Amino acid sequence: MTPFSFEQLYQEEWAELETLLAQVVGKTGFGGSSSDAVPGARLAALYRRACEHLALARSRSYPAYIVDRLERLTASAHQLIYQRREFGIARLKQMALVEFPRSVRAHKHYVAVAAATLLLPTLIIGVLVYRRPELILSVVSSERAAEFQEMYSPDADSIGRTRSASTDWMMFGFYIRNNISVAFQCFAGGLFAGLGSLFFLAYNGAFSGALAGYLTERGLSATFYSFVVTHSAFELTAIVLAGAAGLRIGHALLAPGRLTCRQSLVRATRDAMVIIYGVVGLLIVAAAIEAFWSSAIWLPHAVKYAVAAACWASVLCYLSLQGRHAG
Amino acid sequence: MSARQAGRHDRREGLSSPLAPREIFDNVVLAETPEGILLELRPAGLGARFYAFMLDWFVRVALIYLVGMFAAVLGGIGLGFWIIFIFALEWFYPVLFELSRMGATPGKRAYGLKVVMDTGLPVTPAASAARNLLRVADFLPFLYGFAIVSMLLRRDCKRLGDIAAGTLVVHEPRATKRLALDSVAPIPPFRPLAPEDQAAVIALASRAPTLTGERLDELAALAASVSGDAGREGPDVTRRVLGVAQFLLGRRS
Repeated sequence: MTPFSFEQLYQEEWAELETLLAQVVGKTGFGGSSSDAVPGARLAALYRRACEHLALARSRSYPAYIVDRLERLTASAHQLIYQRREFGIARLKQMALVEFPRSVRAHKHYVAVAAATLLLPTLIIGVLVYRRPELILSVVSSERAAEFQEMYSPDADSIGRTRSASTDWMMFGFYIRNNISVAFQCFAGGLFAGLGSLFFLAYNGAFSGALAGYLTERGLSATFYSFVVTHSAFELTAIVLAGAAGLRIGHALLAPGRLTCRQSLVRATRDAMVIIYGVVGLLIVAAAIEAFWSSAIWLPHAVKYAVAAACWASVLCYLSLQGRHAG
Repeated sequence: MSARQAGRHDRREGLSSPLAPREIFDNVVLAETPEGILLELRPAGLGARFYAFMLDWFVRVALIYLVGMFAAVLGGIGLGFWIIFIFALEWFYPVLFELSRMGATPGKRAYGLKVVMDTGLPVTPAASAARNLLRVADFLPFLYGFAIVSMLLRRDCKRLGDIAAGTLVVHEPRATKRLALDSVAPIPPFRPLAPEDQAAVIALASRAPTLTGERLDELAALAASVSGDAGREGPDVTRRVLGVAQFLLGRRS
């Protein structure tokens, strides 16, 4: 069969498939998913025919314009037929109620290592700076240190913020941006065999330890701890979990087992992304609490500590208990 | 695979070359579908992706500036939203566009690029989020250093985020022009031609409009044996070789 007669014979089917594809793609935009009028069986049949024709055209070395047309046709039909939809409220609910806490429990060893990497430097540096406050200057400049001291002083209008930032909303934006960036760094650092995650966790731990030690030594512990204790339930957990997700990736690279490094990495990333979705959720809650609740100066400390205890308990229970029995 | 590779081979080589089949110097990634055909994905190189990135960067700066002007009017709340907006733009600008119908940010679209999975399928939300969050690692040690090294070293031009997420940035396929040979009268070949020889003659004919007359004559002279003009060269020989191509395509009158 010559290329010309091959084209003559089948081009009506190709044209039909092209029209059907254009029809479906035109329909399913951002929101619409109404594919009721599209004859799915016909589309699939035409797609399989086009695949056969492509195989024939290639093995018979037909001219490029025919092969290219069939390639484009099969590629776009393939994209349409095999695409996976992962959107929707139901999916989000399943993620929050089952998949995220389960995934955290499945990675509990990574979570433990990440938590230790964050908390040990916090404690060690915290105690060191408490004993010798001048050590804070090896972490931040003297102006920053003075600024911190002013931010957490009991006679400020609201706690934990610099003078230039005037409103809760502004700080909300600032916290979201800052904290999520820290968490994402802890995650992405995992690509360097997990060393990046360990570094960012330890660095952020050491920094907060230094800050806590310094402010405690200055006698500002009352304002400082009542400020951080509530939102840290979400924020510290989220950063530890992001680090754990990074460690999962790093471990997959170092010990791929029976897979190739690349397969192992792709699989680990897919697993870790479930944790990262949860991390983003936790951090948004953390930023809201930090901006609107923690900074409020008029709340008695006892109330703050009680709410903080409730937050910590619910976060820990959520991660360790939620979604155990769901199918 | 073998049939396909044979097909590719034929299309690129000249008339039945005496040389052993060589490895083709290109970076096409083949993805097999459940129907057993191979999709050809053409990964985009550093250059195209750099231009696309710069264009996206300008778009983002312009958006930040515009929203900032409105935010300044609103005061504190406005500034808060502005910072959230900058944050969202920083991390989720690519995710939003990659999951939309276009499958690419405006910059990538302008250069005809698209993000797909390794299988050639549309990018999934998890993969899109992963490749864009891992951007942090690509950015290190400075100015996308690791991304550039990774893209230059790899045949499929993936940056670290692409490797981990299992995604690929590809050139969108462009339509090839139909052969315009209507003016040439078909001539039966002078000798029997093997399928790969037929393919080579047709490939020459399809390239004819993009070549200068002299170059076309030179190339046609190499294939002149198909029309019985071996050893001769010139516009007439070229017309006869193209006539053979016309015949091989299946037009007989």
